[in-house]
Order: sequence, then C-alpha cells, then structure tokens
Amino acid sequence: MRVPMQVSQQDEAALLARIHAGDESAMAELYDRYSGIVYGVALRVLGSTASAEDLLQEVFLQLWRNPRAFDAERGRLAPWLAVIARNRAIDMLRRRPVEEDIDELPISTGVNLEDEAGERMAIDKVRGVLAQLPQEQRKTLEMAFFEGMTHTEISAKLGEPLGTVKTRIRSGLLALRKAFA
Amino acid sequence: MNDHPQYADSLALYAMEALDDPREIAELQAHLGTCGECRRELENLRADTVLLALSSVGPQPPQRSRERLMKAIAAEPRRAAEPRSRFVLGRQPRWLSLAPIGVALVLAVISIGMLRDILRLRNKNEKLQAQLSDTMRQNELAREVYSMLADSQAQRMNLVPVKAPSQPQIRTIYKPEKGHVLMLASGLHPAPDDKVYELWLLPMSGGDPIPAGTFRNDGMMMHSFDTAGIQAKGWAITMEPAPGGTKPQGAIMFAPPS
Repeated sequence: MRVPMQVSQQDEAALLARIHAGDESAMAELYDRYSGIVYGVALRVLGSTASAEDLLQEVFLQLWRNPRAFDAERGRLAPWLAVIARNRAIDMLRRRPVEEDIDELPISTGVNLEDEAGERMAIDKVRGVLAQLPQEQRKTLEMAFFEGMTHTEISAKLGEPLGTVKTRIRSGLLALRKAFA
Repeated sequence: MNDHPQYADSLALYAMEALDDPREIAELQAHLGTCGECRRELENLRADTVLLALSSVGPQPPQRSRERLMKAIAAEPRRAAEPRSRFVLGRQPRWLSLAPIGVALVLAVISIGMLRDILRLRNKNEKLQAQLSDTMRQNELAREVYSMLADSQAQRMNLVPVKAPSQPQIRTIYKPEKGHVLMLASGLHPAPDDKVYELWLLPMSGGDPIPAGTFRNDGMMMHSFDTAGIQAKGWAITMEPAPGGTKPQGAIMFAPPS
C-alpha cells in the first residue's frame, strides 16, 4: 500500500492542506507513505505489535485532528514522525502521561526519506554504521534512544563511568552524521 | 560546537532526553538561551537521532491498522470546537458484553479506584514537572539578571517622561552582544485592561523601532531579541492595544532624556 513516488516538500504541504480541509484520501496517502516509519520505531521501543499499532493509530489520528502541528516550511514529515513515534513510545514504555497534542519541533535531516529507494538506502547505511560501532557503544546508544534510559541509569546498569556513557552517545551520533555528510 | 566543548557531550544526551541531572540541564538550557551555535548543534543532534530511529524501520503495520485509522477519522467531527476524548475512540472492551454482570461490577469498582490513583499520580507528576520547570526558568532568569546588573560594560540608560513631571522612571540595561535587555519600571500608572506598555529598541542604523517586550505596570522585564548584536541608538515606550504590536501605534510616552 505504499506510494512509490517521491514526495517533495511542496507535496507534503499540499497533502497537509488537504488533510486540514478534511480530505480523507490525503490522510490515506500520508499513512501509506509514512506508517512504516512510525510503526517500526514504535515496535522497536515497545516490543509489542498491539502497542505499536495503538501508537500508530494515536499519532496519525492526532495529525488528522491537528495537521497544523507540523510546519512544512521548517522540516520534513518523515523525521518529524520518527521523533514523535520514538518520544511517545518512550512515554508509554515508562508509563509517563502521553501528551494530547503533537508539538515536537520540525527536523531537517538532509537525508532522503521521501521515497522508498532513498529510505531503503538510508536504513542500510545506518545499520552498517551501527554494526561497525564497538558493541558497548552501540548498546549505550540503543539504551538511551530505544529504551529511554537516562545516562545515570545506563551508567548504573553497565557499571561504566558517567563520562564514558556521555562520550559514547555523542561519538555514536557523530559517527552516524559523518556517514551521511 | 568547537567554541563550547564543555557542553558537547551533555548536548547529545539532551537531544535524546537522556540527561537527568537538573543542575546540568538548567546550566545547559541557560547556555542554549544565549548561544546560537549550540542551538544549531542541538538541532543537528536531533537530526542524528532520526538516523538512529531509521535502524528500526522495516516491519510494516498490518492492513487492519490502516482500516482502523480510516474508520476512526471518518467518525471524527472535522474541526469540532472541542477535541474528542481518546476514550471515545478507544477500542470497545468486548468482555463487557460477555462477562457476568456481577464480575463486571466488581471490576468496575476496582477500575474506578485504580483510575483515581492514576489520575492522582498523574496530577502530582504534572505539578512536580511544572514546579521544576518554573524553578529552572527562575534560576536562569535570576542568573542573567545578576550578570547584567553586575556587568559594568552593559549599556545603561534612564528614560523619563516626555511631558509629565518626572516621577515614573524606566531604566534599561542592554547587552547588545547577547541581545538581552533588562527593563526596570517604577512609579508607573498601571496600563488599562485593554492596553499594554511596549518597549522599543531604536536601532543605531536607523530603520523601524524593534519591539522589545510588553508590560502593564511597575516591575522588571527581561527580553531577548532573536538576533544579537543590534546596536541601540535609544529606547522608547509607547502604550499599545493589548497584547502589543510589531510597529508602534501610540505616541512615545518615555524616551531617553534629550
């Protein structure tokens, strides 16, 4: 059910305008293009298909209710949805109150996530970079991002100094950035 | 980020909400309030976390998720005045129609008790978060106020009424390199309910006055401009329709002494 063509920034703005006007087919297009990103992140964090489906429903329903929460001039939908999915999944995981509104800031990655081929290439590249990181660094990054653990919690769990945990996280992110520079 | 390596690691943690030392968070937020370079780096780090998220993309949601969403949005009132509660759209508890009524009642009583607990904890949590956030904001403000008051290099200027006797007093303290202005007002008549006093920066280079914050009565106001480095020829205060505007409409009430 995915849309094979590339979605430009103007297309996204137009899609959101149609959603704002109540066009359900526009919502279906947007879902077909981006549900995989939201679902993948949610499933990775929550580890349960039922919970991931609930979160998927919640994110897209809130976008339907308030499409203006996303500013198409300041970023792209794919990274924005990925961050929303991650943050909300962490809230669910840690049993924190989940916000009613989606209010995360738009994000520009410079990475092509707007067509399937570009997205596939980016995913492969990210996995390649992560595979090359030392195991403990990869684990630290994953604990912070996908498990929502704080650096103090990670430090306690791994028995590593706080400074080591901090440095691993930053250098891991920079390694990813460098791969896409 | 090369200029502030002391914040580099903390910034990466902050980008993924993994920093948990309140003192460190407050210090970093105060720094971010004044450092464009670190704010840009924070945006870059947030974009880097998106790359990390990509590593989990692959599994596709089942078709039933799409159908569920489309049904839900079809049932949504478009642009209703009041948002619908998530409980309305939640899945129906099918067991209610199947379980014996007695069991349902017992469970309902237990659920109400649990719901009360959850709501109480949630309220408490939200209040604590709000208190922490307020405290951090106040600390940040106090630190900056102190630094401005103590900085002998900051530009100080007293504004006096143009026509009236000089009882009310406005003092501005401005640090162009940070884009911060601190204003202290005393002896003012409170603004009418539908009006506000508005402070304006008069650029050294000429051009339109730049809005620098609004206030209603005596006290202290701190304003940060989006762009640092604007040199001020002076400051002025007008009274504007609430909540204030981007161009002065009212007459100048306070200006630097000529």
